[in-house]
Amino acid sequence: MKRKKVQWFWTWVLGSVAMRLILLYFPKNLNLSLRPEVSTPVTSLRRLAEGYWLKQSSLSPYAGSMYHGSPLLLTLLGPLTVTRVEGQPDHLLCSLIFVVADVACAMLICGAGEKLQVAYSSSLQFLGLHNLSEDSELLPSGDIAALVYLWNPFTVVACVGLSTSAIENLMVVLSLYGACSRLAPLAAFGWVMATHMSLYPAILIVPVILLLGYGPDAPPRKLFWRRKNLEVGNSTCSDSYSAEEEKNQLKMANVFSLRPVVLFLFWTLLWSSYVLFLCSIYVQQYGGLRELFRRTYGFILTVQDLSPNIGVLWYFFAEVFDFFRNFFLLVFHGNILLMIAPLALRLNHRPCFLAFVYIAISSMLKSYPSVGDSALYLGLLGLFAYELKDMNFSFFLFSGYVGVSLLSPVMHNLWIWRGTGNANFYFATAITYTCFQIILVVESVSAMLNHDRMLTKLYTAKLQNVKS
Amino acid sequence: MGLLHPKATFPLSLVFLFLFFLMASAEEEFLEELLLKPLPDRKVLAHFHFQNEAPLAAHSFARHHHLFPKSISQLVKKFHIKTMELSFTQGRWNYERWGGFDPISSHNAKPPGVELWAVFDVPQHQVDASWKNLTHSLSGLFCASINFLESSTSYSAPEWAFQSALGSLRYGTLPREAVCTENLTPWLKLLPCRDKAGLSSLMDRPSIYRSFYHSQRLHLAMPTAASNGSKSGIILEQALTVVLQPDNQKAGIDHVSTKIQPSWSLSSIFGRKISGRCVVAKLSNIYLHVERGPVTQLENLQKKTSKIAANDTGPEDYRRNSVFELSVTPERVHTELEKSSSSLYEYSIKDYKDIEQFDLGLTWKHPVVWSSPHAPLFASRFLMGSGNERGAIAISLKSTEVTEGLAAANNVEERCKLQVNVLQIVPWYVKVYYHTLQLLVDERPQVLTDFVERMRVSPSEDKVSPGVMELVLQFPCEMKSAVLSIEFDKGFLHIDEYPPDANQGFDIPSAIISFPDYHAGLQFLDKSQSKSPLLSKLQERSPVLSYTEVLLVPLTTPDFSMPYNVITITCTVFALYFGSLLNVLRRRVGEEERLLKNKEAKKGVFFRRLLTNVSAKLRGRPSESPLPPPSSSSLFVNSKLIFRVLIVAGIAVAWQYYSQ
Amino acid sequence: MGLSVSELLMKVVLMIMLTFLSYSVAYSSSSYKTTMHTNNWAVLVCTSRFWFNYRHMANTLSLYRTVKRLGIPDERIILMLADDMACNARNKYPAQVFNNENHRLNLYGDNVEVDYRGYEVTVENFLRVLTGRHESAVPRSKRLLSDEGSHILLYMTGHGGDEFLKFQDSEELQSHDLADAVKQMEEKRRFKELLIMVDTCQASTLFSQFHSPGVLAIGSSMKGENSYSHHLDSDVGVSVVDRFTFYTLAFFERLNMYDNASLSSLFNSYNPNLLMSTAYYRMDLYQCHLEEVPVTNFFASVMKTIHTDSAYRSWSNKNIAEAKTKNMSSDQSISDSDRNFLRKLDEVDQFNNLTAEDYVRDSVGQIWRAILSTVNTFDSIDTFVCYGMLLMLPMLIFSTWLSSK
Repeated sequence: MKRKKVQWFWTWVLGSVAMRLILLYFPKNLNLSLRPEVSTPVTSLRRLAEGYWLKQSSLSPYAGSMYHGSPLLLTLLGPLTVTRVEGQPDHLLCSLIFVVADVACAMLICGAGEKLQVAYSSSLQFLGLHNLSEDSELLPSGDIAALVYLWNPFTVVACVGLSTSAIENLMVVLSLYGACSRLAPLAAFGWVMATHMSLYPAILIVPVILLLGYGPDAPPRKLFWRRKNLEVGNSTCSDSYSAEEEKNQLKMANVFSLRPVVLFLFWTLLWSSYVLFLCSIYVQQYGGLRELFRRTYGFILTVQDLSPNIGVLWYFFAEVFDFFRNFFLLVFHGNILLMIAPLALRLNHRPCFLAFVYIAISSMLKSYPSVGDSALYLGLLGLFAYELKDMNFSFFLFSGYVGVSLLSPVMHNLWIWRGTGNANFYFATAITYTCFQIILVVESVSAMLNHDRMLTKLYTAKLQNVKS
Repeated sequence: MGLLHPKATFPLSLVFLFLFFLMASAEEEFLEELLLKPLPDRKVLAHFHFQNEAPLAAHSFARHHHLFPKSISQLVKKFHIKTMELSFTQGRWNYERWGGFDPISSHNAKPPGVELWAVFDVPQHQVDASWKNLTHSLSGLFCASINFLESSTSYSAPEWAFQSALGSLRYGTLPREAVCTENLTPWLKLLPCRDKAGLSSLMDRPSIYRSFYHSQRLHLAMPTAASNGSKSGIILEQALTVVLQPDNQKAGIDHVSTKIQPSWSLSSIFGRKISGRCVVAKLSNIYLHVERGPVTQLENLQKKTSKIAANDTGPEDYRRNSVFELSVTPERVHTELEKSSSSLYEYSIKDYKDIEQFDLGLTWKHPVVWSSPHAPLFASRFLMGSGNERGAIAISLKSTEVTEGLAAANNVEERCKLQVNVLQIVPWYVKVYYHTLQLLVDERPQVLTDFVERMRVSPSEDKVSPGVMELVLQFPCEMKSAVLSIEFDKGFLHIDEYPPDANQGFDIPSAIISFPDYHAGLQFLDKSQSKSPLLSKLQERSPVLSYTEVLLVPLTTPDFSMPYNVITITCTVFALYFGSLLNVLRRRVGEEERLLKNKEAKKGVFFRRLLTNVSAKLRGRPSESPLPPPSSSSLFVNSKLIFRVLIVAGIAVAWQYYSQ
Repeated sequence: MGLSVSELLMKVVLMIMLTFLSYSVAYSSSSYKTTMHTNNWAVLVCTSRFWFNYRHMANTLSLYRTVKRLGIPDERIILMLADDMACNARNKYPAQVFNNENHRLNLYGDNVEVDYRGYEVTVENFLRVLTGRHESAVPRSKRLLSDEGSHILLYMTGHGGDEFLKFQDSEELQSHDLADAVKQMEEKRRFKELLIMVDTCQASTLFSQFHSPGVLAIGSSMKGENSYSHHLDSDVGVSVVDRFTFYTLAFFERLNMYDNASLSSLFNSYNPNLLMSTAYYRMDLYQCHLEEVPVTNFFASVMKTIHTDSAYRSWSNKNIAEAKTKNMSSDQSISDSDRNFLRKLDEVDQFNNLTAEDYVRDSVGQIWRAILSTVNTFDSIDTFVCYGMLLMLPMLIFSTWLSSK
């Protein structure tokens, strides 16, 4: 079965790379690396360079509240921040790494999309909804997602703005891809690295385990059960599939296979102990792992830096009374954690989509969000282009995103540079942005549930037809 | 602590005054001196110097003091201070015009506001605690907010760029601190005569605080005896340096037009005269320091007129010459070793009658233009960049005539080097990127390692400690200018951390630039006679030191007026997220609901039905399930009630249990 | 309930007192508080920052000068000035502050001692001064060391509103806070009588929450009224004094420390037409007749020798009181030392834990030691970690290949 590709797919990919390279050669990178939307205290390359400098002058890289990232990133990117190529932009080598990471990320999204699509159309076929499966095959969602990721202005800005979120995104996608293709070591590696770098991907362990256990997204499991019941009742069903294949399909869709999950856990243990080993060797002179965790995860969880970003927490914690601070820290982080279980229960047959929702939620509520995080979930949104085609408010959301991304820099400029605006204006754009993200998450979840309902309805209708 | 009350010292000191007369103890010494110096830019420098010495016998701390202020000796005893210096300054010392290469400027030119440093004689881990207690005591003693230096964000421990004290040195400044009468009052109370007699009676508050620059300094030292290395006593130096503009309104505008320096006298610049010495003072002298410039010109003039050759010149000739005229004949004249260099006219204060009072005056007769000696490099500091997000600090060093002369002299020999120490302290909310440190020598960017001899950085930690950068730079002497620049991000503070006048901006304390290879010191001929501490201070070879400007950094402020709005709106958004997402997840469309009910009806579990009923009620829809018989409904209500009561009781019990 | 009963009782007592002769008043008040009036304290607060609030500092300094002239020594005056006006760059007369256009009197003088100034004047510090709950390092000159025989004058001026007074234009002191602080002072026996004098807009609202006996309050204006400045000095460029304070000073200028003017004569001297506001007095918590109480009870320190037969008893009383106050003031330090002790214990515990940990590490983590030592033989840790990361790549590929088979 030859899949349809988007026309000129590779041309578009090369075009996006060319655009990034062109943007890199603009003088001073258009100062994108200093924008609060692009570089947060956790992802800023400038802070990484400071950490590397401190390290080179035999101080702890975490001395001085500047660098809060991973030591491994420091060893990888640190030397590149000081190497200059004659006649080229300052951070050329780092930028090239980010471009490569972006492209790799897009390729992995594409690959994961293909896997999802194949699995999905086959399960639709299995249910006998042939016209739907043909519909879904018409839409090459993997390619779309990859191109959306590559051409998303947010991704481009994050890549050119030298934000390390490109690498974090790559790790997240790597983990998802590994889980989609049931490669436990790969999934474990991606998950461990992503968690190590930015902590929030830790919640992705739920969808990854579901993916490994149940396989990629499928229609609700109930339908398969019903079909099984039907088969038991009516064994003389004549289908184009052989019986064995059907059995496999059924098994795959319904039975939680423990082996890849155990493998995944094993590899997670392995990788994380290896990463911790490397880290502890790196920081052994500077207070050990405890200090490392305090400076990285502690910094993320306690929202110490109050410089403006596109989230809402910075302003909230700049204004809230000190004695309520801990309470609200708990509440806001709890908001991410509280939603894990209900979402996992309701969407357990669609682990990939579940992962998308988790990523969107964490990038919306995390302490130091940047456009790089938004770029990732917007890219992943493309994977579900077929299922979400009936989503409400899509145009409204699109214009909202465009509007906010135009207004936010303006308000920032008015407040910080011109001195004519006020912090409240900028905060208002941040609130609006969060609201749009909330609407996106809520609407996409509801669209997905509606899609499932539609499938159930069609299937029951079909069953009734068969019965009558 | 309890006895440190500043307000109690005066009566005590009076009592000790009497005791002094009775016992005539020669152990404790008090000396008062005043140095006057005309400055090139038509101003006059007055430098008061009081020295109080107390010997340190084995049990002397338990003893009363005759002259030495008790509060200070208690301070020394309690906090084990080795050396301490506290200065209150207003105005900025003009290094370009008032000189930067003489002992007065390198000792008494201080950064604006309060500067405090102290070296403690305690184990390392107690130094911070001692420092904190010391700041509180000093704030009570001197009516200033020195206790703000208590917080670890405001002081630092420079290791070698300032003074080397092996970790027991603490240094802090408060650039914004106001200096006014209330700081001078307790300072004067440390003197045995307060401002009632002696030189300190000249200190008329309005004329001092009208000055261009005034700096009141208190230096405590415990010199070690050369013989056995033990401490020999406490020396308390109190110095007040004032730069005043002589009131030349009555002299008319003629002088201005003819470029003759304004004439002045003690009474014209202070509005007071000296009526007598402080009786307990061992020494009470006034010096007039005339710099090299006027002296050279005087000699030239004298050569021209060929009035007197190199014959012995009597005091009367010093009093009246072709350049200026003094109203009182000096008792002694000290001249520097080198020919045609500055000279010092000495007067000693006797007890005067009521009518006759000491009033030294200086009248210029010939226009003289000169300039004070400059430091090897002229340092200034400025901010770069605009906006409230980031910026850069630049320290520029420009060569002066001293280095130019050096370069010319040493051209032939091996490459002459000029060593410069830089100490830069930045508060934590100015987040400095040390990797962006750049050096421009003669306006060309240079590799840092070629010039930096040593470097020590302790980066600032948010809300914990300030950033300290200490540099030792080696420049070639022929260098014209050098600029050090370093970039920073401006921090964002919590709303409570902003001062009430946040829009005024925040201060970056002065950087300290010192030249360890250069020593300011005047070499006077008659070294042997002078027992005067001021003279020995002038002759002491001390490294040249200069402070740069204080920088004012405007920081972005959040909105102070409506924190409640921010809190409520943010919480609303979170509620919106949580509520709507949960609603989507648990919403069921009609068909599913029916299915669910069928299933339950089949199972017939009472508990399940209860749940659906509750959920239906919550949704505001009438329950569609077949109604249970009325008899069971009352039972149902009862059970629900009991259930609720149980839950509430359980919560209450748990709360009680855990809150204890 | 208890409170209302006590109030009722007090009212009854008051009524009885009114019916009896005037000397009984003194006895009834002394029956309430047996201690003698031994000393006077003054807390003078200017809460306003910025140059255009010059008059508030001038108000405070005028009061400072007055109470000092009337004999309260500097160590018993806590002076809080929120900004530096005397040496302000905008002040044409450096180190001088005037409260009158005629510039006859320099309020700043030569011997002013300011205890809290600038950013130190905060609501927190103010309440700390009143309640005496300081850090142990705070020097005596910054503490209100009053005892149960103290008469305290508390003077505040600044900008205020309905039930609040602004500090430094950024914080507010609410009437509840003030009443709480006074209540604490009363419970800690930090005063015998307290006169609170406030010169601000709607000053009377600041007193509405008081319940502690012995408190007398005077405010410059009623609720809904503004307090106005008296006149503008065109040389200084701003208004130099407020009306209420101006007329208070006018009253005191005529007095010396031996005068017997009563508080009621002070209160009656305020003319609402001149003040342009109605001065408000709250005296329901104060037992004595205002006609009987000389102003010098609060505004001056009169050291009178009183001959009593029971000299020794009163001495012992006083000693006890002193001991009590000492206890109170040293509470903080005691608890501090306790904490230190606890901390030390903790440290010991930690030390024990640490040694145990070390022991475990010694016995179990030999391998770790070995690894570290081998790591240290590398040129630098950086390269090691770098190689370690590079190693991850083949490991990843290999493992993926393994599992994809």
